[in-house]
Amino acid sequence: MLTNELVKPFLKREGSVLTVRELDTRSAFYQRTAQELIALFQRHMGLTRGVWQKAVEAYEGARIDYQVIRGLAKVLSSEATFTSPPAPLPPVELRRLLFSCGPVFPTPDIFHQQRRQEVVEAVARDLGTTAELVERGFYADLEEEQVLTDLGPAWSAQALLARYNLELARGVLFNALNLQIEVYSHYKDLWHFIKFFRLMFDAEPIAEGGYRITLDGPISPFVKGTKRYGYSLASFMPAVLLCERWQFKALVRAPLWPDLLTYQLNHTCSLVSHFRASGEHDSLLEKRFAEEFSDFIEKFGEKRGRWHLRRESEVLLIGGDTVMIPDFLAVHESDPRRTILIELVGFWHPNYLKRKLEKIRAAGRRDLLLLVYEGLNVTKEQFADVASGVVFFQRKPVIKEVLPVIEQMAESLYGPLPTRSTSVPEEQAGSLLKLLVSTVLESRADLVQEWLPLTELGPILVQHDPSFTPRKYGKHRTLSALVSAHTELFEMCRSTAKGRPILVRFRIHREAVPAFPIPV
Amino acid sequence: MLQTMSGASLFFQGGTLVLAGAGEHDLVPTPPFRWIRGRWRCEAYHYTTVAGWLREQRIADRVPRWQPLNYPFQDIRQPHVYQEEAIEAWRQAGGRGSIVLPTGSGKSYVALSIIHKVNRSAVVVAPTIDLMMQWYALLSATFGAEIGVFYGREKDPRPLTVTTYSSLGTLMELAARGEKVGNKDSNFHQGGGNFYKLIIFDEAHHLPAPAWSEGALMSPSPFRLGLTATYPTEAEQSDGRGRLDELIGPIVYSLKVDDLVGEQLANYRTQRIRVSLTDTERAAYDRDRTCYGRYVQRHGLLKSHGAGWLQELQRLSAKDREARAALLARQRVVRLIGRCEGKMQALDALLRLHTSDQVLVFTEHNDVAYDISRRYLIPCISHESGAAERKEILEAFRERRYKVILSTQALNEGVDTPSAKVAIIIGGTAGAREFTQRLGRVLRKVENREAVLYEVIVRGTIDESKAQRRRANLQAEEVPGAHQ
Repeated sequence: MLTNELVKPFLKREGSVLTVRELDTRSAFYQRTAQELIALFQRHMGLTRGVWQKAVEAYEGARIDYQVIRGLAKVLSSEATFTSPPAPLPPVELRRLLFSCGPVFPTPDIFHQQRRQEVVEAVARDLGTTAELVERGFYADLEEEQVLTDLGPAWSAQALLARYNLELARGVLFNALNLQIEVYSHYKDLWHFIKFFRLMFDAEPIAEGGYRITLDGPISPFVKGTKRYGYSLASFMPAVLLCERWQFKALVRAPLWPDLLTYQLNHTCSLVSHFRASGEHDSLLEKRFAEEFSDFIEKFGEKRGRWHLRRESEVLLIGGDTVMIPDFLAVHESDPRRTILIELVGFWHPNYLKRKLEKIRAAGRRDLLLLVYEGLNVTKEQFADVASGVVFFQRKPVIKEVLPVIEQMAESLYGPLPTRSTSVPEEQAGSLLKLLVSTVLESRADLVQEWLPLTELGPILVQHDPSFTPRKYGKHRTLSALVSAHTELFEMCRSTAKGRPILVRFRIHREAVPAFPIPV
Repeated sequence: MLQTMSGASLFFQGGTLVLAGAGEHDLVPTPPFRWIRGRWRCEAYHYTTVAGWLREQRIADRVPRWQPLNYPFQDIRQPHVYQEEAIEAWRQAGGRGSIVLPTGSGKSYVALSIIHKVNRSAVVVAPTIDLMMQWYALLSATFGAEIGVFYGREKDPRPLTVTTYSSLGTLMELAARGEKVGNKDSNFHQGGGNFYKLIIFDEAHHLPAPAWSEGALMSPSPFRLGLTATYPTEAEQSDGRGRLDELIGPIVYSLKVDDLVGEQLANYRTQRIRVSLTDTERAAYDRDRTCYGRYVQRHGLLKSHGAGWLQELQRLSAKDREARAALLARQRVVRLIGRCEGKMQALDALLRLHTSDQVLVFTEHNDVAYDISRRYLIPCISHESGAAERKEILEAFRERRYKVILSTQALNEGVDTPSAKVAIIIGGTAGAREFTQRLGRVLRKVENREAVLYEVIVRGTIDESKAQRRRANLQAEEVPGAHQ
């Protein structure tokens, strides 16, 4: 992390918006600077931090961009390892011995018969070592006496410059009071890091999918402008970059200005995270389950009904400040509304399991299926009061036992799966749909005026026709296909605002049901 | 029988109290509670206020994690009557409130005695690292136990811990249970906001500063003691949330200065030693001094920025080559003056002269301090020194096993060094407060012997104007007993 000193010169404000002047990572000049610093650093392997700092100062010379150089050097040092040099005794003890002989003088006088050199040699003799090692061990615990023993990552000039830019952005967040993030996908890692940095969060789903997450700490609502959590927010920030579509807004009290400023970034920025995204699967158990599941569907899908597994795309918010992310979401191919959440409760520590059970109870989800490893220190009774479905397994979950339970749960939650015969004849589909739309308009006249997200149309139609699927009205595979095919009934628009996910909205065509009176 | 919330419980979270198992429509006292993020929450300092209500409602109280200390009390001093009165007044006020006593009247004894009487895990908050270190030494000596330290460089909280106002919030943020603390992986709960039953605010007049009051309102400690010689006025407390009566309690005892005057001042004299630069040094000095002086003058930095001229020069140095050159020249000047040959020779001579005295040496720069420490084998205390070594060095100095100790700014405040009779200032900033405190270290009267304070100044350099400003500021502050 860069200190305020090294970030301050690169801050700019326009009105109440704060921006950071990033370094152009493609600039040949800075590529060379970075390259030279990396080489200089490598030459300091085995030397002390103090020597390295002096070398950086010398490299700066009279250059006016010395703050950039210091920043780059800071990135190099903080990713590397410096260790205290070996000493014949712990430095504190060694000093105790030497100080008990002080003060000594380079030249003796009547009160100080022993010269410094003689004292050091005497101490070395007593310890069975050399005067040179005594000198080196004297202040071996001072930071600047530490020796560079590991250079850290193998930096390229490009990588160093990119990381420097990231550190500038983090430096801003160091002064942040809070951070509000909107994410639309790949949030699993995000929750993981929120937890890791022990941040307090408040999450709510956004209409167009995704979540709006506010991060701060317990005391924030009570104290005006606490910067207490800035360090955690800055540490956490690279986790946001792991998401695919995101934007964030931070409230910042920058060191140069007294008022509060906002600092914003989104996925179109050029910053690169150095955090590693987790693999697709958390455990081998999950990986195997997913593989076997899809194999099974390949082979027997026609008979058993086609279910597809999606990875952790659903977040269960429990009380706004706790989340549970089930491992999988099983989605029925012919009716995407038929979904069952699946959570593998595998080989976990008893405490973890206890917390998990608490979460499961709090979530109270009937569309959640738990696959529980029997060897766990759990009894079936512990799951007795759980609203969710539970299947126990001995070694690994057996797909052909799991699938019927999924079917059964879907049946009781969503009713019987509409069979193919429920689809209306092609030639009547249009007029039947028009009929459906006009019944909808009886209670929702606003739909001819308001643009609503397309995702809201499905539930509205289902309210009036419980067996509604796009397939039923003309064998359309998706709702969007159905809507696009009936321009006489629906209008559609796509928003493509920069930095936002594409949002499809609809409204019902004014002339769809001309007989129906339209309120002004 | 009223309906109670017997299923609910109160727990501690990062400086707040949170009601678990209570709904938005339950009858909960507001203030202090507020419905935030699906739970009833309030700042931790309301703990005593809500405790009665908790019992009434049969709400489980999961906040306290304090534990008995059972340390022997090794302070055999006979307390003054007013000290006993103060302790009793605090006890009768329910263990909450401030005691106002003049400087040097033994406020720390009052605190030690209260820690001993409460006999539960406690935290002492001091305004500076130096004062915190002094508390560390004092508590170690008094209770013969390992004392915890919690600040930027060392985070090792224990049942009796010292910290600073600026680190208090970070300590309060920790929960006492299930928390890894410091580098140690211990099953035993140490530290954390809800670990301390007693919190002591030393120099409590600092509390109203917004950044400093934050930790106080994050602490649930039911017993709270404020110590100060200068209780802040109403106006000084009006800004922000740091009201002493709210965060600590009322003034429970107050004693005027007049009652105690006339015992603490010693005679001392100040002696200036002027040294010269060598010819080579003088040439380098003149060149560099002219370089940045000319720049500052040409751009009117003193006129436009006054005392902030150096900051402005720093800002310009990232844009303007000449400004950069001027800044580098100034850095060289400061370094040269800090460690010029003349100063080192003067130091050498003074150390030889005061062979039989206890001597304190002050320098401005860390690197100079460590160089001297190495050259003469004298112990050095800087901001990099650990608490244990610092305490050991001061103890050895007090017991006269070390004749000379060396310090950067770190020794400035309140460190008790009663046996020092000689202080040598090799370098330091122009601030009068710092100078006063340095004087204060040798001021203390021991066997009626006169103390000497040497100021080593480089002739014909910016060192002289610094010393001049030091004096001027000093007279403005009217330090008693200061004369030449």
